[in-house]
Amino acid sequence: MSGGLTGGARILVVDDEPALRRAVERNLVGHGFEVRGAETGEEGLELETRFHPDLVLLDMVLPDMPGTEVIERLRERSSLPIIVLSVREAEGDKVRALELGADDYLTKPFGVDELLARIRVALRHAARAGARTEPVFRSGELTVDLERREVRTSDRRVHLTPTEYALLGALIADAGRVLTDRALLQRVWGPEYGSEDHYLHVYMARLRKKLEPDPANPRYLQTEPGVGYRLLEVEADLPQG
Amino acid sequence: MEALRRLPAPARYGLALLGVALVTALIAALGRFHLANASMLYLIVVLLGAVALGRGPAVAAAFAAFLATNFFLVEPRFSLTVANPEEWVTLILLLLTAVVTGQVAAGQEQRAEEAEANARQSRLLSEVALLMSEPNLDPALGRVAERLRSELGVLAVRIVVHGPDGGLLASASAGEGIQLEALNAALAAGGSEVLSPSGGRWVRVVQPYAGRPSGPGAPAPTLRLLRVPVRAPHGETGEVILAAPRGSRFGPAEVQLLEAVSAQLWGAVDRARLRDEANEAEVLRRSDQVKSALLDAVSHDLRTPLASILASAGSLRQRDVEWDEEARHSFIEAIEQEAHRLDRIVGNLLDLSRLESGTLQPDRGWYEPTALINEVASRLRPLVSPHDLALDLPEELPPVHLDYSEVDQVLSNLIENAAKYSPPDAEIRVSASVADGALRVAVDDHGPGVARDAMPRLFEPFFRGARAQRGGSGLGLAVARGLVEAHGGRIWAENRPEGGARFSFEIPDGTEPA
Repeated sequence: MSGGLTGGARILVVDDEPALRRAVERNLVGHGFEVRGAETGEEGLELETRFHPDLVLLDMVLPDMPGTEVIERLRERSSLPIIVLSVREAEGDKVRALELGADDYLTKPFGVDELLARIRVALRHAARAGARTEPVFRSGELTVDLERREVRTSDRRVHLTPTEYALLGALIADAGRVLTDRALLQRVWGPEYGSEDHYLHVYMARLRKKLEPDPANPRYLQTEPGVGYRLLEVEADLPQG
Repeated sequence: MEALRRLPAPARYGLALLGVALVTALIAALGRFHLANASMLYLIVVLLGAVALGRGPAVAAAFAAFLATNFFLVEPRFSLTVANPEEWVTLILLLLTAVVTGQVAAGQEQRAEEAEANARQSRLLSEVALLMSEPNLDPALGRVAERLRSELGVLAVRIVVHGPDGGLLASASAGEGIQLEALNAALAAGGSEVLSPSGGRWVRVVQPYAGRPSGPGAPAPTLRLLRVPVRAPHGETGEVILAAPRGSRFGPAEVQLLEAVSAQLWGAVDRARLRDEANEAEVLRRSDQVKSALLDAVSHDLRTPLASILASAGSLRQRDVEWDEEARHSFIEAIEQEAHRLDRIVGNLLDLSRLESGTLQPDRGWYEPTALINEVASRLRPLVSPHDLALDLPEELPPVHLDYSEVDQVLSNLIENAAKYSPPDAEIRVSASVADGALRVAVDDHGPGVARDAMPRLFEPFFRGARAQRGGSGLGLAVARGLVEAHGGRIWAENRPEGGARFSFEIPDGTEPA
């Protein structure tokens, strides 16, 4: 399961819960990552400059500073992927972390498979960031030819309005990652938008109707409650689906 | 003077006539007297009579004086012929003096009475207001009833107030048992005879003991009830009932007083009801706050160890990695330790609820404290690492009478608290001694110490110091205090001069009876 893309990547785990940090570190080492752990925000920031991680797993509650401050200080000097770990139910915290530049979040307690999947998506993204995006996006039955602006579901051509296509394009550009409502609004409608969630919800419903086999149980266009949306990259079709 | 006015009518008339007789006798004794001078003497008697005895006796005195003058002093003597018109003038003068002076005196008297009644009323009303401002309605009403009873000199008083829905809101009685019984029986019987409405209220004469023997040969006492309605905006809402012996009367002043009191009663009862409702709402609001604080705290506290358990268990399940023996051992150890931690959190929650409901009772036995402390320390050492847990204990301490698992929980909570607030690698030191009939245990840390403003609230449930960066429910210290107090001991915190905080607790060693 460990893809060549992510093998040997360096991961920095910043969490003050020793039991959790040790379990995560050990698991990631077992999966071929090179891992360092930090207990405080200051220690994490300092390790980042010496260890040069490819990704940071960051707890939002640290003994010396809030996780949001660590994100801000990391973003001042680096665009490396940050996945936030939070035990908080508060959606506001997650949104704030994402808006400050975190790439994804996981709510504690989380499964290790979920953690590994998120790490791989984030690393793949980072690797792809410099290069041109692939001309064709595929997820399950869904195919989007970005050059010809052609959308198909199981070889049936789907017609999208320009706004619908722009929204799908924004999601594809960050496929696998959560995008906040605000980020999507600004990318699709323009920088002066930000609080018009209802536009987004209406267009997302239309996209689902056109693209999803069962719009009530979306397979590709996932809702992250209170935070935003995520376009899932589903493995190539298997007969049983 | 006032005493004379209160005399029964025959006595007052008798006194007036006696005065006239005395003056007549005086004149007769002194012999020759000029008519005008004699009239002056009679005038004095009438004047005094009008002031002291009232108008009626004064008028009687005036007539008597006229007759006496005519009979004894005016020629022809010993006959009642009025020959001289001067005599008529004397009579009219005497009568006029009697009537006018009597009227003025009576008015004065009435005003004085009114002023006194007013003073009494306002004194009583202010007392009622004061009594009714007390938080507990029923005892306050009881005192009002008692006050009315003594003020009005009646046998028994009963106050009944209903709520807008008709349900009994409050009631109180004052009076001796037998009188109250009679009052209640009279009320139950509904009274036997309706007299006349007096001042708008029905006065009933009742036979409270009708059909009930009340001792051999004892005449059944008869009560007169006065019922004054308590009025509320929505209508009549209760009654003030007075029970007085048969034959007693209530004047307008008393009736007015009762009306004023009962008017005040509803306002006070209603205020008390609103206050109770507001209190209830406040209690509900507060318990809601506590619940949401508990939920927040519990979700954080329970999920933190769960996250470690889930990550470790998930790792063990994964088939894509061949875990070596050391890795497997470390995952299993983490699961075990974090499960213990969960268990302690659940234990704290249960203890807290048992402490709050007052159902926690220490199950004491004789235990050697150093063994207990060593056991707690060895269980917690891996959990608080990288903090160094050091013990500063004598070889052996005398056995102490305590509940092992509860004292274990107290010490565990204090050590976990110290770990939470200490920098990594800093030492946590536990020391213990038995002296002066008590076991004393102290936990020293190298954390930031306790802020002065946090000190008083430190042991309250859900309190978390501002310096707490790591989460925590704020249950540990509250539970520790509850358990220590259940042992009849005390717990406290102090900042050490060399830095860091010291949390200590002390429980009686059980050698002396509590």
